Amino acid sequence: MIEIVLFLTAFLFVGATPVHAYLDPGTGSYITQIAIGFLVGGGYVAKVYWHQIKSRLQSLFGKKKKDGSEQKTD
Amino acid sequence: MAANKKPINYEPSSFRDPSGVIYYQDNTVFRQVNPSFQPHLDTLFTSGLFDTLTQEGMLLPHTRLKKPQLPGAYATFRTEKLPFISYPYEWTFSQLKDAALLTLTLQKTALEHGMTLKDASAYNVQFLNDKAVFIDLLSFEIYESGKPWVAYRQFCQHFLGPLLLMSLVDIRLAQLLRVYIDGIPLDLVSKLLPKHTYLSLPIASHIHLHARNQQKFAAARDKAPTQSLGLSKLAQLGIIDSLQTLIQSLTYGDKNTEWGEYYTFTNYSDEAFLNKKRLVEKYLERIKPQTVWDIGANTGEFSRVASQKGIFTVSSDLDPVAVEKNYLSVKHHQQKNLLPLIIDLTNPSPALGWANIERASLIERGPADLVMALALIHHMAISNNVPFTQIAEFCRRIGKALIIEFVPKSDSQVQKLLATRQDIFDSYSQENFEQQFSNFFKIVEKTAIPESQRTLYLMTAK
Repeated sequence: MIEIVLFLTAFLFVGATPVHAYLDPGTGSYITQIAIGFLVGGGYVAKVYWHQIKSRLQSLFGKKKKDGSEQKTD
Repeated sequence: MAANKKPINYEPSSFRDPSGVIYYQDNTVFRQVNPSFQPHLDTLFTSGLFDTLTQEGMLLPHTRLKKPQLPGAYATFRTEKLPFISYPYEWTFSQLKDAALLTLTLQKTALEHGMTLKDASAYNVQFLNDKAVFIDLLSFEIYESGKPWVAYRQFCQHFLGPLLLMSLVDIRLAQLLRVYIDGIPLDLVSKLLPKHTYLSLPIASHIHLHARNQQKFAAARDKAPTQSLGLSKLAQLGIIDSLQTLIQSLTYGDKNTEWGEYYTFTNYSDEAFLNKKRLVEKYLERIKPQTVWDIGANTGEFSRVASQKGIFTVSSDLDPVAVEKNYLSVKHHQQKNLLPLIIDLTNPSPALGWANIERASLIERGPADLVMALALIHHMAISNNVPFTQIAEFCRRIGKALIIEFVPKSDSQVQKLLATRQDIFDSYSQENFEQQFSNFFKIVEKTAIPESQRTLYLMTAK
């Protein structure tokens, strides 16, 4: 999983595509977005994957718990 | 078609966007989409974004007419007329925060559907019952790979900057939104924020670095390396996520303003309070208004008498803490028909923007079917030195009927107001009050509120 995160993070840095025109973010706003995108993009990918792992674990754990409670009530 | 012969009134604030126009016919709102916007509008529907957003209650529902109504249009939509258009400078902290989070969720959802928001204007959000709703169909355009979020700067100016100032400096700085109609300039936000915010990476980047870059590259637009750099969709989602996390973490600190605890300090006994509520209810049943403006509503105790009857009620007060409490209660209890707003009656929202027609004044947004002015007259007449006749005239301009409470000089609340100043208010008498108000209203009913010295009047416009 770490490899995937690292790969995707690297992709963020390398995968910048050329932009030929933009409407009106202002040049400064544009540069700021690129800079912040570099900063937070990798973290965001890691966060998304972590949430996916967490929710899968939780759903597994939740199922077990549910089964347990059903046994108790019976 | 007979409907087409009815006069059309164009929305004065919809001139900025050449993609379409808003107009009103009778009580219906129409949104015209021009041919230039066709690809974007089609994608909004074919991508499923429109359905997703309306089903989630994030976008105001629009019904497409079978044929465009006016010549030259690509499409025409009909939509609900909102009972009251409110503006960001009338919102409390949590209202602006909810509008900001809605805008970010919209942008995230739009990106998932291959679209993007071209505007992040706070004026595109309105409050309907207990939710913030986006009202502008034409803000969605097709996302082009690698293109940054075109509305990022506007988002920071309309939402992030004001919220940071309200949360970290002073709640009253929200009033800067009245002065800067396209949001607070980021260099000003950067200047006003405390120095320790430079240590917060999200604030340092979205505000301080952003403001510095705006200045730095403003003069060197041609030399900036913008043509060769792009922003991947994932990186953009990362920026939105960073904004979301930052805004969610912001709280409103100062809870101790003048009116926040008003109801615990009134001279009303529980019995008198209940009696007043019953009387208000009786008067409302007599007039049966569709819209009520409760002016000086504090946390909206009496506004709820109206809203719970299904009457749309604007519940306004000048105190941000009271309005914040009011709004949080609306959200918590999922209350309907109630819109808490910050309005200072001694200086109500003026007409603003281009040619003074983009944002309507408070008076222009009326009149309400009924105005409630409870425990307010002494603040107007004594604290603000406004003669009865002018208060009556103002009430007449904003309402067709009036429930007003007269508070005599002997009342302890009035005595408090007079404690630190000379009593120059000889004309402050119940007799003069009735006389002056009778020039504008017919007094329909008048009842002494049991267990208090006050009187509640029901008046209708002359």
